[in-house]
Formats: sequence, structure tokens, C-alpha cells
Amino acid sequence: MAIKSKNYVIRVLWIIGILVIVLLASSIYRNTFRDIDYNTQVKPILNKHCISCHGGVKQNAGFSLISRSNALEVTESGLPAIIPGDIKNSEFIRRLTTDDLDERMPQGSDPLSEKEIIILKNWVKQGVKWGVHWAYNPLKKQDNEKPRSLLTVLSSESNMTPRSIDYFIQDKLVELGLKQNSKAERSELLRRASFDIVGLPPSLELIKKYVESEEIDFEEVVDILLNSNSFGENWASMWLDIARYADSKGFERDQNRSIWRYRDYVISSFNTDKPYNQFIIEQMAGDLLNNPTDEELVATGFHRNTSTNDEGGTDNEEYRIKAVMDRVSTTWEGLLGTTMACVQCHGHPYDPFPHKEFYQSMAFLNNTRDADTNPDYPVLYFLDTLSQQKLDDLTEWIQLVDTKQKSQEIEKFVRTVQPVIYSIEADQYVNSALYDTKYLGLRKDGVARIPNVPLTQIEVLLMRAYTTQYGGKLFVHIDYPQGEVIAETNLKKSTEGYEIIEIPIKEVSGNHDIFLEYQNPSLDLEDSPGIMMDWYYLSQNFPGKTDIKHRFYKREYYDLLESKHDHTLIMTENPDSRKRRTHVFDRGNWQIHKEEVFPKVPEVLPQINSTSDPDRLAFAKWIVDEGNPLTSRTFVNRVWEQIFGQGIALTVEDLGSQGVPPTHLELLDWMAYTWMYEDEWSIKDLIKKILLSETYQQSSITSTESQAKDPSNQYLSRSPRIRLSAEQVRDQALMVSGLLSNKMYGRPVMPPQPENVWQTPYNTESWIRSEGEDQYRRAIYTMIKRSALYPSMETFDLSARQVCVSRRIRTNTPLQALVTLNDPVFVEASEHLAQRMKNEGGGELKDQISFAYKLAMGKDIADDKGLVLQNLYKRSLTSFKSQNDDKYLNAEMDALTTVANAVLNLDEFLNK
Amino acid sequence: MNKVDPQKLLSEHLLKQSELNTRRVFLQKFGLSLGTLAMGTLLPGCHLKSDESNKLQRSFSSFPDFNPLKPQSPHFVAQAKSVIYLHMAGAPSQFEMFDYKPVLNQLHGQECPPSLLNGKKFAFIRGVPKMLGSQAKFAQYGESGAWLSEHLPHFRQVVDEVSFIRGIHTDQFNHAPAQLMMHTGSSQLGRPSLGSWVTYGLGSENENLPGFVVLTSGGVYPDAGKQVWGSGFLPSVYQGVHCRSKGDPVLYLGSPEGTTRNIRRMAIDAINDVNRLTYEEFNDPETVARISQYEMAFRMQISVPEVMDISKEPQYIHDMYGTQPGNESFANNVLLARKLVEKGVRFVQLYDWGWDTHGVGKDTALEIGHINKCRDTDKPIAALLLDLKQRGLLDETLVIWGGEFGRTPMQENRNGVEQLYTGRDHHPDAFTMWMAGGGIKSGGAYGETDEIGYNVVGDKTSIHDIHATILNQLGFDHEAFTYQFQGRPFRLTDVAGKLIHDILV
Repeated sequence: MAIKSKNYVIRVLWIIGILVIVLLASSIYRNTFRDIDYNTQVKPILNKHCISCHGGVKQNAGFSLISRSNALEVTESGLPAIIPGDIKNSEFIRRLTTDDLDERMPQGSDPLSEKEIIILKNWVKQGVKWGVHWAYNPLKKQDNEKPRSLLTVLSSESNMTPRSIDYFIQDKLVELGLKQNSKAERSELLRRASFDIVGLPPSLELIKKYVESEEIDFEEVVDILLNSNSFGENWASMWLDIARYADSKGFERDQNRSIWRYRDYVISSFNTDKPYNQFIIEQMAGDLLNNPTDEELVATGFHRNTSTNDEGGTDNEEYRIKAVMDRVSTTWEGLLGTTMACVQCHGHPYDPFPHKEFYQSMAFLNNTRDADTNPDYPVLYFLDTLSQQKLDDLTEWIQLVDTKQKSQEIEKFVRTVQPVIYSIEADQYVNSALYDTKYLGLRKDGVARIPNVPLTQIEVLLMRAYTTQYGGKLFVHIDYPQGEVIAETNLKKSTEGYEIIEIPIKEVSGNHDIFLEYQNPSLDLEDSPGIMMDWYYLSQNFPGKTDIKHRFYKREYYDLLESKHDHTLIMTENPDSRKRRTHVFDRGNWQIHKEEVFPKVPEVLPQINSTSDPDRLAFAKWIVDEGNPLTSRTFVNRVWEQIFGQGIALTVEDLGSQGVPPTHLELLDWMAYTWMYEDEWSIKDLIKKILLSETYQQSSITSTESQAKDPSNQYLSRSPRIRLSAEQVRDQALMVSGLLSNKMYGRPVMPPQPENVWQTPYNTESWIRSEGEDQYRRAIYTMIKRSALYPSMETFDLSARQVCVSRRIRTNTPLQALVTLNDPVFVEASEHLAQRMKNEGGGELKDQISFAYKLAMGKDIADDKGLVLQNLYKRSLTSFKSQNDDKYLNAEMDALTTVANAVLNLDEFLNK
Repeated sequence: MNKVDPQKLLSEHLLKQSELNTRRVFLQKFGLSLGTLAMGTLLPGCHLKSDESNKLQRSFSSFPDFNPLKPQSPHFVAQAKSVIYLHMAGAPSQFEMFDYKPVLNQLHGQECPPSLLNGKKFAFIRGVPKMLGSQAKFAQYGESGAWLSEHLPHFRQVVDEVSFIRGIHTDQFNHAPAQLMMHTGSSQLGRPSLGSWVTYGLGSENENLPGFVVLTSGGVYPDAGKQVWGSGFLPSVYQGVHCRSKGDPVLYLGSPEGTTRNIRRMAIDAINDVNRLTYEEFNDPETVARISQYEMAFRMQISVPEVMDISKEPQYIHDMYGTQPGNESFANNVLLARKLVEKGVRFVQLYDWGWDTHGVGKDTALEIGHINKCRDTDKPIAALLLDLKQRGLLDETLVIWGGEFGRTPMQENRNGVEQLYTGRDHHPDAFTMWMAGGGIKSGGAYGETDEIGYNVVGDKTSIHDIHATILNQLGFDHEAFTYQFQGRPFRLTDVAGKLIHDILV
């Protein structure tokens, strides 16, 4: 032992000596001889001092440093500012070093430091080498042979697997002179892993198996937890933040929206360990896959989670465009770790994304069928058993009398009511208007135009509308208001709201503007509309005309279209007659079009191989192509952030040059590469890999040294101690009190919430408290109304889901204390926990408290903490007893509840 | 009653000092000083300016103060210490309140000329509307000779306290996005509100009350919902705390039935004692922060109901404001606003809903609904300015009044049909706001609209200019007041905003 420690001391001295020499030598070497590295040495200087005036936005004096070619261009002076290899004639260098204050750059600020100037001079001298930002470099297999740093080799006592999480982490720690903590206690580790995987404290059974009898090892714990259905319920939250999932529409009236099947899709995708590449393709373009399944259609709800505006007087096109622009930003931020939002107004100020490229990305997404309609079309309808039977009979009959294709077309129409033309596409009106900018209404002698309607081979117009008056008549003209009448019909008065109105159409070929004319002699000009319209469907006659059951099945068909069904929002692509062109918007203003653009991914990244214009599906496939440098890095970094509280690159939303550079670039790249090629995009494998590392399993005790050298714990010399998420805080309290329901999926639930939290204008919807076990469901199923979040979870930093949220900022506030102390949900949980303490905790107070603590923390309570809580019981019991009031008859139970509530408020209980 | 009792002020001061001392003792017990406690979770990016010499530099990632609401000093000496912002949600008509347009009255009933309609988009006007003269009589008041409508009889007394800004324009003509624009500087969702920015920059003066309080009247939230007092990308600790007239004034403030103050004290002592032991185990500074937050929660349980209770106000105050304790009303909220700023709350945001005077029904008719709204707000607003003044608080309290856009000089003709009542459509191009106190000129005016109040003809003011001016009065250079997010420094004023020097003292 003694010899070993002496050797150790000598070795350490050696290390220090070498370290000093190496550092000195390397700093001299770097500043004078070595090649200047653009990314690590030049770019930070340019970003700090130059780029705000000479970047992608401002290009003062015609000089921009956004790319090498820009930087070498001739400026307004008529000469280039930088001449590679020529310091003397490079105006760039002269302006940085001149004594003339009017000319010296950066203008009005302090000059650059001598060191910075040396770097820039050498950079120019060496030929102005540009570099690709780390995140845009392709991911490559890392060389196993690459030696570790000298320091690690000298100091490492264990034979660590090269290329593992611990290898990279410890390599950095040694440089900092830090060591990882020892392994955490089993109880601490179990609680941590349980929250990281399923978002709940461990069950008593698992505590027994892993902590007490030690019959299973940690890997088995991880496997058990990963196979639990609670895994998806926990991990879905991070994805729903990115997807800005909510159960309401967002703006003003913020009406409820039915898109919870998308939430369930996310939960189930995590649980079945759907490969991430498939997960992304389904969400971005599931509708464009061959014969998409319901699941693939539901997945496209991802980009239907955008806010819509039902406020009266809004321009539907404006809000459609806002939604599409949000989809561009969310795709880039959420899936590609790149903030593109600023590029909608101008070129990216720091990164190589010109203004135009935002709109080229938008061109992939600009041809979906949604249009800010009030019913949030397009949707996928889910039929109840009876309706489904009717549909099955109908399609079976159509196959008999017509083709399979026809039957599929009708089935698709019943399920999606697409492709239709929306009445809000009307663009000219006489005695008619878009009422509340939502539905087209025609008054007496009203006419409205629907542009560019394909009429070739069309035999019938189906219209969803309701008529408020008897005696109305509808005419369909083509080309101009008094043009040829191709269809007309007498209208009855609707009896049950919107109906399907069928109007046969004369044969016409080509696309025409149609003019809908409404006449009704019984109306006055000022009267309200006689007819309100929702959509138009142009199709062939209902099949099987000669069949005896034709009439019956046609009525069944219309019944199915008229009935109310459950639905979820989906994406579908525009038919050819509705294809939109995409233009660059001048400074992001949707009303001012500049050049037309076509679908294309940014130049700095690998391109899509395609001869024709690539579509949304091609874009989706490009995102998850193994050659895309951003996708895997982005997601791996996000998973790391979920587990360790901060990403390897801290700014998970921005891996660009203004983001914080990764602390362990090689680790991130190694994980991103192996995740694609070895783990085949398995999220569970990725999580497991992290959890099985020594880095993850160390204890979270903070030593003075590690606090001093690594205050924010970026280098992981200890396990981070992280406050639970809003969802976890709630779920944990329900679980330890025994109230938590394990029912999965379904429409959002409304657990108890204080009165008057919903006060949305023009909205009569209200919070109707759920019944039975639905009050105690996991937080993920709680109704998310954007304008009024569930308040206790909002207090614990639940995101409002208005836009893509890459990471929640955890706060620590007195309002949080008020929630866990006073919210009736937590009070009820305290009462139930107290009951459990009494029933299951044994006869002695000490044991009851110990039982509660074990339920909460997964371990026995320390004596000193136990004493504090026993004392609380005794003191509060005296106090309850002294309140000579009928209400407090059960002083023992009240005192026990007070203790239980205290347990639910402990700092260690709110942290993992 | 007109003056603040100096003895009372002194005792308040002493009380505050003793509380501060208690906190210091507590911190010393743990061997920590204010400067070395890490906030830990308020991660990076939270800095005001990258300049290291800037005294506002707050890097939460290194050694920040554990209390994110600790009072902070701004860039320069502030004119105003606190703000009361009265937002009339729905957008009040300038033509029936502050912008006198005799020429418009002469044009009343005539068809609107096409030159005013070409290239314009309206929320509800279709085809050719008719011009609509003012539905109120105007006269000049005060030494400034400002024109005021007959619907604002009380405001006459205070007209010389305010500065009008008559040439404001915005780029949104729907309520929700326009309110977002007005309160977050952007019509997109997800940006921090003005009050959040201010609280982030200044912290809170009162340790027992939130720094940013929101009060609503009119029965519902503003159209843009809670996002107009949300913290956007700032930490949620800076979002507005909505104080309510019914139920708990702050959600979950009241202890459960049966839990007396005494028992609550015992519980918090026990929780904090266990947490101290936890701190000894893990040395996590967050634990220390949590201990202090439980103490503050305990204090808030008393201090918030106290400040939210107006029943103990003297009768003359009730008469002055027109308040009736127990109601949810704008008047009550205005009185509360005064009490809150008196207690050191930085930013009190009022929303009064119901100003959307389209004339499609009685409530939205200029001749009925609008007059009622004026009556309900005129008296309390005048009282607020007088009351702040008599307490010597007006100088340090910036009071702001306005809506989210203006209204058209034309009668609305929704769906192309003539309406039964007089009403005006949304109009983003010209509207009026006023500010008072907090270094704003008395009896000032800035900006001018054309003869029919349709366009701004002089001294055009943007929403960013309003924000720049508000921040300036609070001691901030709006261009240097930033927050790093998504790889760039964000400002309330985005890339615009200039001070409205003409209305400053």
C-alpha cells in the first residue's frame, strides 16, 4: 500500500510537471506557428466583434463575414477588404490596427486584444482558411486507435473501454483535475433511474428486489423500467414540448381541439421503441406513405399542433401562413437543432443560411390542405361501432357494383372528407360574406365566387351546408356571375344543422371559376343569410345506379357524412388544382412577395438526390438520412439533456455557431454516430447506454472542489440533482399516496382545478371535473388549454406549448411551495398517504413515518430526519387537540396528515 | 389621510430591515453569503449585456444570487420605480374619448372615398362604408387645453397630469395578435411580456409580494389570454401573478381547512429542518433556495390577502374611486393597483375587457356600451392619479392607459350589411394612449392624426417606441436590455424603438 501511494505521488508530480510544460509550449506554439483553426480561433472573434455589422443581416460598407466568398468580395470601396496571404494590403487588418479612431474597427468600441489581432493576422497570412462549423460536419466512425490524452494515460487506474461515455467524460475530468464521485447508494440510484425512465418513484416491489435483497442488478432494473408502459408516459412530455402539443387552438377563443390521439401516438411510439427515423417520417409525412395506416395519419398531427385563430375578422390566409412558418421553425429547431426563425426576415446573422433558404424549406410544407378553417380541417374521423359497420357494408356493396378503387375512394372520403374545397376559399361576394370569417353565407340574391374549380368528368357537387329558410334556390354559374348555369337545385330548410346537399352538374371540361347564386323571394335584402356553407366536393355519381340498393346506400353514405364522429387533426396534401406557389416574403411580411422559390434544403448541408421537385416525404427522409449531420446529434443531445439536466451542447435548440459549443464534442459525435449505425435509432438503447455508464451511476454529493472547479456541473464530476418536472411532481404525490390511476390513453382529463381559471372570451367551454379514476390519471393526460394551463403544473414550469419548446427552465419559487402545501390535489394526496401510514405502516408512529418516507424516497429515513417529523406530529397533535371544535374530532389523523404533507414538501422529494 | 404618516413609514422601514437581518443570519448559519449561492437551475444565457463591466451583468451559471427577484439596479437612474398599466382590452374608440375631429363630424353619413379604402384590409368592414362622426361632444379642459369627450367628466380634473400620444400605429388588426404586440413587442406567441422584462431587470422591492401582479376585470381575460403576462422565454419566475377578486387572491394561497397559522408554522419549520439536513448531505445550493422560498410562501399567506383586502380603506377613498369591496370591478382593481405599488410591487398590469365597440349589439354600441365602459373607468382613473399625487407617489409611478389598436372613422358594415347601432371597426393605423407620472411631462402631447383621425400626419409612434420609452423611465437603455435565446440576444423592442422625448420631463 505504502509503495503504491508513494508511486502515486511521484506520478502526480510528474503529471504536474508535464502539464506545465505542455501548456506553456502549446500556447506559444498555437499563437505563432500552428495553423490557425477557423472554428475554434477565428469564428469566435468574428462573432463577438464583427458580425453584428458585417454578417448576414447588416453588411456595412458592403463587407460581410458570413462566408469565405462573401468575405473576399469587392466591397463598396471598390477593393476587397481581405486579400488572402497579404496582410499589408488587407483593409480588414488595417482597420483593426489603425490609430485613427474614426477608422478603427469595431467602431465605437474597444480595440481587439493583441492576441486576437495576432490570430486574425495569421489567419489572413495563411490564406483565410474557412472551416465548416462542427455541427455541419458529417458524422464519421471514430478511430478506435486514437490515443487518449497523455494525462489520462498516466493517471488512469482502470482499463476503460476506449470510446465509451465514461472514457470521454473522465478524459476531460482528468484535464480539470477532478475525479468522478463514487457510485451512488442503491436507493439513490434506483430513485434516479426510476424517474429518468418512467417518471415515477420506484415501487415497493422494486425497492425490495434491488435495494433490500439485491436479487437483481442495475441493468435488470433498467430493463424492467424500460419495458414498463409508464416509460412512454414519461418520455412523451419532452417530445410534446417540441411538438407544441395542446388540447386547444391557441389564439383568442382558444377553443378545445381534438388531437389527443397524436399524444397517444407519441406515448405508444416510445413504448414500442419505434426507431427514431421512422418516428420522424411518420410525423412529417405519414400521409404521403403508400396506403397510410391510421397510425401514420394520426402521426401527422405533429405539425397540426400549430395555433389557429378563430377570432372574428381574421384573415384565414394570414394564419395559415403563420402556421406553416411555425412548422418550418419547429422542424429546424426541434429536429435539426437549428434556429431558423430569424431567417424568415433576413439572412441568418451568424450562420450560413441566406434569407431565401427559409422559404425553400417552407416550399416543402406549403402545400398542405389545412387553411385555418374553424373545424380545423383536414381531420381523420373515428367511427363508432355502428357507423363503422355501416361503412363496412357500404364499401362491400360498392366493391360488388363497382371497383375496389371506387370503394376505397368513398371510404377515404368518409374517413377524411378530403379532397374538398372550403367555402372560405370564396374570394368575391355580392350580398354574401364570410360570416365571422369562418363560413360562407349567402343572403337574398347573394353571389360568391370560388376560383379555379376542376370540373372535368365531374357529375355531382356535394355541399355541406345548412339552410335557414324555406323557398331557397341555388344556381351554379361558371366563368362569370351570369355565366352558364351548370347546376341548380331547390333548397329545403335544414332540420338538423349542417346537411349534405347533392346537386347534379352538367358536363363541363377544364378548370373554371364558379359563381354560387342564392335566390329566395321570401327574404328581404337585409335579412340574415338563407344558406351557410362549409365545403364542396366534386365527384362522380354515386356508383351502382342500376342496383336495387343504390338509393339505400347513397342515403347511408350521406348519413355517415352528416353524423358527428370523433376526430383528430391530420395533414393531407393539396390536390393539383390547389397547389400553392411559394415566394420569399419581404422581411417576413406575408403580403409582400419577392422571388418564387422551390423546395430545397440549405446549401451548407448535404442535398436531396432527386430529379423532380422533392416533396414533404423526401424532406422527411432527408432529415433522417444517415448523411444528415444534424438530426442524430440533435436528438442524442436532447436525450442527454433530459437525463443530466443539460445537453453536451448546452443550447439543445441551437447547435449553430451562436449556440454554446459542446463540452464533449467527440462524445456527442461518437454517440450520434453509433446511435444511427449500431443502435439503429433505438431510443431505448440510447437511454440504456447512458444509464449503464459510471458517469450516470455516481452519487450526487457535491464536494467543495467539484463545486469550485465545475460549478454548473457541465463536466459531470457528480451526478446532477435535478428538480422533478411539473408532471413528475404531480404523479409522484399521487403514486405515494396510492391514488394514481394506471389507466392509459384517451381524451384529456380534467382533475380538480380552482374555480374561474378558464376565462377565455367568446368561449362557453368550461372545466368539467373528471369523475372517478380520471381525476387521478398521470399528468400527461391532463387537458392542456393554451390560454389557461392547469395552474399547479404551470407553477412548476410546464410549458405553454404555443411554440416549439426545446427545454424548460426550472425555477424555484414560493408559488411552488403554495401548490404542494395547499393545492386540494396535494391535500387529498396527504390525507391518503396518512391513511396508508396508519393502515400499512405499523402501530408505532416512528414506523409509520418511516413507511411514508420509504414510499416517497425508496429508503429508510435517517434518525435525525425521523425525529423532526415525529416532533411535528406531536406538536401538531397538541395543537389540533386544543382546537375544541367539532371539525377537528380526529386530531390524530389530522396530525398524521400534516406529517404526510410535510413529506410531500421535502426538498429531496421534489428532486431526483 | 392625504399624507403618508412618516411614523408609519419609519416603522415599516425598521421592520423590513429586521427581516433582511433574519435572512442574513440564516445564510451565515450555512456558511454562505449572498454572493456565493448558486441558482443552479436558471441556466445560462440569462444576461443583460455581454459587456463585463456592465453592472447589470447577471450570469446565473456561475455565482449568482439565489433570489432571482432580488432588487436590481437598472442601467441608469430611473424616473419611475413602478408601473401601473391600464389596458382597455378590445380597443377603445379614440373618437369618443381623446381625439377631437370636427371635420369628421361634417362628413358624417357620407360614403367613404375609395382613396381611403384602396389596399386596406379590415376585420369586418366590407365594400364601401359610411363615415361616422364622433358620438360624443368635446370641449377643452385644463391649462393644457386638451380636448376631452363628455363621457369623461372626472378625467377633466387630471387632464393636466398626463401626456397624450395621439399618433400611435401598430401592424395588427385582430385583438389577440395586437394585444400580444402591445404587451410582448411581437404578434407571435412565445415572447416575454413587458411586465416580465421589467421584473427580470429590476426584481421585486417587496419580499412578501410578487414583483409583477395582474388584475383583470370585465368578466374574462384579454383576447390574447394569459400569454400577455407570460414570461415567454424568460424563466417563469418572471411571469405575472394573476391576483383574483374571488376565491384565493393568489391560487393555492389559503391553507387547507383546519390548518391554523400555528400548525402551518410548525410544518414549515419541520420541512425546513429536514431540508437543512438534506443540504448537509448533498450541499446543493438549490436546497437553500427552497428553504427561503418556503419562508416567503409563509409570509405571502398573510401579506397577499392583506394587500388585496380593500374593505379597510377609508370611506373617502371608496367615494373617490367608486369602489365596492367584494366585487370584481375595474374600480377595485385600480385601488388595488395603488395599494400594490405603495407596497413596492414593480409592475401592476390591469386588463379591462369589453371595449370592442363594433356596434353589432347594445354592449358594443358607441351610444350604449361604450358610454357604460367610460363611466365605469373614468372615475377610478381620475381617482388613481389624484390619490397617487396626494401620496407623493405619482412622481415615481408611471401610469399608462391604452388599448391594442384604434377604431375606424367609418361606421362598421359587417358582412356588407347596415348595422342597427353605431360602431367602428378595428383600425391599426392611428390611435391614442396616454401616460402620466414617472417622469412624464404634465399636460404634454405628442403626435397628430389627419382631419378624420385615419392616418398619422406627424410624430408617428410605434409600439416599440412606447416600450422604449417605458423602459427608459425605468432606467433601461432598451437597446442594451437583452436576453440571450436561440443563439441571439432578444430585446423587447426587437430591432426598433426610439424614445418619445417630447413627453419626458
